[in-house]
Amino acid sequence: MKMLAVFEKGPRLRLIGHLDLMRAMQRALRRSDLPIRYSQGFNPHILLTFAAPLNLGAVGEREIMEVPVEGTVDPAFFLDRLNAALPPDLKILACRAVEDTHKSPMALLRAARYSAQPEGGADDVAPFIGPFLAQKTVPAVKKTKSGEKEVDIRPMIHELSCRDGRIFATLDLREESTCKMELLLDRLYAFAGLETPHFLVRRLMLLGEDGNAFVPLEDV
Amino acid sequence: MEALLEAKLEKLLEQVQKPARYAGGEMNTSVKPFDEAELTFAFCFPDTYDIGMSHLGIKILYHIINKQPWGLCERVFTPWPDMGDAMRREGIPLFSLESRTPVRDFDLVGFTLQYEMSYTNILEMLDLARIPLYARDRGEKDPLVVAGGPCAYNPEPLANFVDAYMIGDGEDVMVELCAAVREGKRQGKSRLAILEDLAAIRGVYVPAFYDVCYNADGTVKSCTPNRPGVPAKVQRCVVTDLNGAEYPESFPVPYTDIVFDRIVLEIMRGCTRGCRFCQAGMIYRPVRERSLDRLLALADSLEKTTGYEEISLSSLSSGDYPCLAELIRALMDRYQQKRVSISLPSMRIDNIVKQSLEETQKVKKSGLTLAPEAGTQRLRDVINKGVTEEDLIRAVTDAFESGWSTVKLYFMSGLPTETDEDLQGIADLCKKTVAAYFSVPKDRRARGLKVTASVSVFVPKPFTPFQWVGQDTLEVIRGKQERMREYMRLKGVTYNWHESTLSFLEACISRGDRRIGDVIYTAWKDGCRFDGWNEHFRYETWLAAFEKCGLDPAFYAYRVRPLEEVLPWDVIDAGVTKEFLIREYEKALKGTTTKDCRKGCNACGLQRWKGACPAYENARGV
Ligand code: SF4
Repeated sequence: MKMLAVFEKGPRLRLIGHLDLMRAMQRALRRSDLPIRYSQGFNPHILLTFAAPLNLGAVGEREIMEVPVEGTVDPAFFLDRLNAALPPDLKILACRAVEDTHKSPMALLRAARYSAQPEGGADDVAPFIGPFLAQKTVPAVKKTKSGEKEVDIRPMIHELSCRDGRIFATLDLREESTCKMELLLDRLYAFAGLETPHFLVRRLMLLGEDGNAFVPLEDV
Repeated sequence: MEALLEAKLEKLLEQVQKPARYAGGEMNTSVKPFDEAELTFAFCFPDTYDIGMSHLGIKILYHIINKQPWGLCERVFTPWPDMGDAMRREGIPLFSLESRTPVRDFDLVGFTLQYEMSYTNILEMLDLARIPLYARDRGEKDPLVVAGGPCAYNPEPLANFVDAYMIGDGEDVMVELCAAVREGKRQGKSRLAILEDLAAIRGVYVPAFYDVCYNADGTVKSCTPNRPGVPAKVQRCVVTDLNGAEYPESFPVPYTDIVFDRIVLEIMRGCTRGCRFCQAGMIYRPVRERSLDRLLALADSLEKTTGYEEISLSSLSSGDYPCLAELIRALMDRYQQKRVSISLPSMRIDNIVKQSLEETQKVKKSGLTLAPEAGTQRLRDVINKGVTEEDLIRAVTDAFESGWSTVKLYFMSGLPTETDEDLQGIADLCKKTVAAYFSVPKDRRARGLKVTASVSVFVPKPFTPFQWVGQDTLEVIRGKQERMREYMRLKGVTYNWHESTLSFLEACISRGDRRIGDVIYTAWKDGCRFDGWNEHFRYETWLAAFEKCGLDPAFYAYRVRPLEEVLPWDVIDAGVTKEFLIREYEKALKGTTTKDCRKGCNACGLQRWKGACPAYENARGV
């Protein structure tokens, strides 16, 4: 059996890297004494995968991880036990048990919803959102492992809006097509002819697909 | 911290190296509300987070203070230069990790003194905290600045910056001191009155209550109390019962990588082998052991509360722990299932039991570290390192036969009476180590022999039998290092040597007097910090600081002190007496050894204090 757990990575931990977070979660699982599974081989480690690494600097409101366990475990029990073993800035919010054959969250992931809070509010950029979206293409330069690459991010943007001084967006997040919130904001501000301000990014939710609609990844 | 500053801080953290160092919020750290505590203590480690969090003392004292219902302890480390500079630029004061409270808002600000070359970081931290650096400039609203740790045994170099020192084992005196400050606060006492209360506690030294006079030649004439009720000599604190002593049942578990990221079990404190260069061996006397039961219980709770995958046993000479093999076996039995490995970091070569070697490597094959310290038997006798060449060769052969292939050997150069023969002896031992490896049949030894020999420069330390000797001059050291490089052109051996200028400054400060404080201040003012880090060590600036202060570093490092000279640290009674140290010094020069006092008391001085030395009292049937 595998556990799908939704967790929060709080503001205090936004500059803790992916590998450090992974290790913190593994240690918490050890402390929890839950029947977790280890990899085979010479240096066994706890089996644990995150749906998608979070950008350094961002807060994760509903991140998702998959934890294979031995036998059957009650999800409510899993949630309580693990929460008791976690530091205050990491919290399990929901938990669901699935079969081992269930596709991994990494494979089911399609997109993510974000918010960004620009320093000094979003009033200046808000009027440009409509025209920005009306563009047929939005060229952007993506840094990849093999260098820089020009891409059109327009098809990767599924939603872009502004409310209460915050910018909201739903963006592609899958192997073949990923647009980071930081990249979108960079293009948006350039389009508006404004200097990109300092902002705090939150990843609000990871999304999978049901038919043609996005649904929370943990429900897929 | 105010919201505006906090916002600035958040922004700044995105720009500095390793921001995780400043995040806080780790598992098992304090979550007490700052405003509700009656007594607040900022525990300051004058180095980076990664170094400080690896240190056991901070974990013990953090636990002890937070255990008091009225006490709160939070941690502070030295911001790396990029962060320190940015904080100054943005007007962000030094803050604690837990609640991000400015350090100057704490009642007590405590520094642990682990090595002399961290002293400029103390000034850096006080300055970033906006606390006046000199104790005499602090007012009623400023925190009391206290300090402890091994380097505090010579409190004089930092005497002008520290309000009160705690000398010796910290477990009890820390609580006493905090309680006294809390009481003073409650009664609305003045700073001075509180310091007077503190001076009455055993182990507490308040530098401002002592006047130092100097002779015309620059040596200390006297250090005497300048008010009634202050002891002429401050007796160090001794925790006699290690089983009864507090020990944390949980450690903070860092997010980011630190140097020693594991459970540490202190199995013993003190060492009675009596190596004459070793300050720890003198100031942590007598030997006190934790019982097997207590250690297993601590291991249990630490394993549960941390989730760590490794337990290391710590003491000055773990091999001397009476039930070492039993302890390792018991730990392995318990934790093999949970995939926890056991490691022994500091083993002495003369009683490594082959069996325990085999047992540790079953769990984890780390390298073997041995410290013969000197290259010849003659010099090992001078320093009373009771280890023979046969011991060493047997130990490494055993290790190679048990499947180890990495050996680290530690030596010192510049020890009293050292000759060229002793230097060649180091190379000789390395050769014999390599030969020992090849003496093991090919099919029984592990592949990939790696012998590393590290040679450091000897630094004479207070409260050792060598506290009177002069350090080798830089010229002499350099000559020796050049020859060593020749001798050490050996196949299969990596040779490391240490920066001699750093050891020279360490020698100046470790046996320094109160006037050295101005040199430290000047060096810091001129940009020195993180002196222990190669990339930040600025030797020229230090030399200039001596010059500006009109002091000669050679006077501190090179000078041989006459036995009757008043030493700056004579105001501290460390347990071991001067008579004992003189006896040992004289025996050293004759090349006579002194036996381990578990085989009979050597009257080091601890026997003067009732109940302090279990070995002495047991032998006398007290
Ligand atoms: S008093 Fe005697 S037995 Fe105790 S530490 Fe000193 S020399 Fe050893």
